[in-house]
Amino acid sequence: MTALRVRAPQAGLALLIAVFAVFFVLPFAGLLERGIGGSGTWDAITSDTALDALTLSLWTSAVALVIAVVAGTPVAYWLTHVRFPGKGAVEALIDLPIVLPPTIAGVALLTAFGRKGLLGAPLDDWFGLTLGFSTVAVIMAQLFVGAPFYVRAARAGFAGVDAQYERVAHTLGASRLRAFARIVLPLSWPSLAAGAALCWARALGELGATLIFAGNLQGETQTMPLAILSAFERADGLTAAVALAILLLAVALVALAAFWLLSTRGRGTP
Amino acid sequence: MTLEFAARTQLGDFSYDARFEAGNEIVVLFGHSGAGKSLTLQLIAGLLQPDEGRIAIGGEAVFDAGTGLNLPPQTRRIGYVVQDLALFPHMTVAENVQFGMTGEGREQRLAEVLDLMHLGEFRERKPRSLSGGQQQRAALARALAREASLLLLDEPFSALDESLRVELRRELIRLRSELDLSVIFVTHDLREAHLVADRLAVFDAGRLLQFDGRERVFRAPANRRVAELTGVANILRGRVVAARDGTLTVEAGGASLRAPVPNGWRPDVGEAVDIAIRAERVNLRRLDADDPGQPNLVRGTIREELAYGATHTLRFESALGETVEVEIAARPYEVLGVGGQKSWTLELPPEDLHVMAVSSDAAAGSSASATTA
Repeated sequence: MTALRVRAPQAGLALLIAVFAVFFVLPFAGLLERGIGGSGTWDAITSDTALDALTLSLWTSAVALVIAVVAGTPVAYWLTHVRFPGKGAVEALIDLPIVLPPTIAGVALLTAFGRKGLLGAPLDDWFGLTLGFSTVAVIMAQLFVGAPFYVRAARAGFAGVDAQYERVAHTLGASRLRAFARIVLPLSWPSLAAGAALCWARALGELGATLIFAGNLQGETQTMPLAILSAFERADGLTAAVALAILLLAVALVALAAFWLLSTRGRGTP
Repeated sequence: MTLEFAARTQLGDFSYDARFEAGNEIVVLFGHSGAGKSLTLQLIAGLLQPDEGRIAIGGEAVFDAGTGLNLPPQTRRIGYVVQDLALFPHMTVAENVQFGMTGEGREQRLAEVLDLMHLGEFRERKPRSLSGGQQQRAALARALAREASLLLLDEPFSALDESLRVELRRELIRLRSELDLSVIFVTHDLREAHLVADRLAVFDAGRLLQFDGRERVFRAPANRRVAELTGVANILRGRVVAARDGTLTVEAGGASLRAPVPNGWRPDVGEAVDIAIRAERVNLRRLDADDPGQPNLVRGTIREELAYGATHTLRFESALGETVEVEIAARPYEVLGVGGQKSWTLELPPEDLHVMAVSSDAAAGSSASATTA
């Protein structure tokens, strides 16, 4: 009796897991099946459109990541160490783009930095500088949606380092910067690495905000997700879309694997 | 090395005020948790800044509210071992110890310090793979490696089991004599305080109640609260009835006690006083018809008895009005036959009685009523 009662939910659970797994694995299988079987796959992958889009995607997302890390690290550190009224609101604001639909992010960016935007209009009037529909806009869109992932992970990482370590480091003669570099950074490294990976992946996959704020110009603002969308919209575009999707997927997997290897080596053996 | 310390600060509801000086010695800061002991170390280390006061290490001011001087922790030459040690978990023992070292000959000094703390074979190990005692030694080594001549130790042995604590206390005393160190040592353990202290600072509720040589604090507590904190089991309220030739006669309950006049204070006849005597200083005598009426002898009846193995603690009801606690070693307990006899004469030797002023501070800190008998 008892055994039966225990086994029944286990069987149900196994089935649930299987269905869930199939749901996630099947789309990748479909992608590969269609890509390998399709006749124009290789042509699509080696086309100028694909190479332009891939190059743009890689370097813009890399720049967005660097900015997110350079600016986000001190912000995250500061947020874990100070208390002030309204801190919760500031943290919520930083997290907001994580839950914001990307199209809203695009519209919001346009109203701020577009040619007629809050800051965009004066920039255009006084300096003739236009941010919207440029490569800079691509990076801004990626930064806007990706950076919160890094800041969030970094905050958690810094909060996980016992403040006592830093205090002891100070009594041992270490300046704030040295204590950060020698104690806080190595101890929060796994969180920072995970946050950076998430940020980069989010930037690489960015579509909605880029489309609205930066447009879809090959070689200038057409990133891989946009190239896939464009290919898909053409008659008989599925083959090309699948090919580009496989290319982006492969590049992302290789990059993340390399990153994971580097970051576990950087953390050292425990 | 000298430490001059005077600080006053307010942290929320907690007000702190203490001043003392330390030379080449082990000063134990003793008190319950929350008394201000650890706070004192943080103020010395520069991790907290007092509202007022002056702190000087080796004659050089590191904090002075008057001039606005406040050196950051990294420029105060101290070694600080925090209660939870805070060994850097991602570094080896050697890297931990070298963290605070500067200048030439680092390898040489690392080897010396590791050798001194018997850590040579563990130099490449990470802290988590060390035993509690080894971690403790590594934390001490790291603090010593800075060649600081002032060492701050915050309950350094509290997480260890008794046998390790005994060993490390012995080691600390050895280090003190070998390295010419000033040590400020925080503990709430009375036995530990007695063992390692040259001088003892008794803290309570943010106040330094007494700062004196160890024996002096234990034998002549400044007031009722210090007596309570330092484990004096018997603190009797009495009234001075006579004072002559260096001897006070005090009436406590229905008994008459003679006691020496305390140092630096001469109570008036009629003045209320507190009389302290440690449980192990009270002698038991078999009942004798001559005893009643003689000073310092009181009849008592055992009401409660606790056997600790090596010692017995007896609680007596007596003419003194308050319960008297007596601690007696197992051997005399058996020789006297205490187990089979309830009524005894208690002898409170004059030289073991310590008369204290009834201070408002002390009364506020104790559970006893402040009204005079």
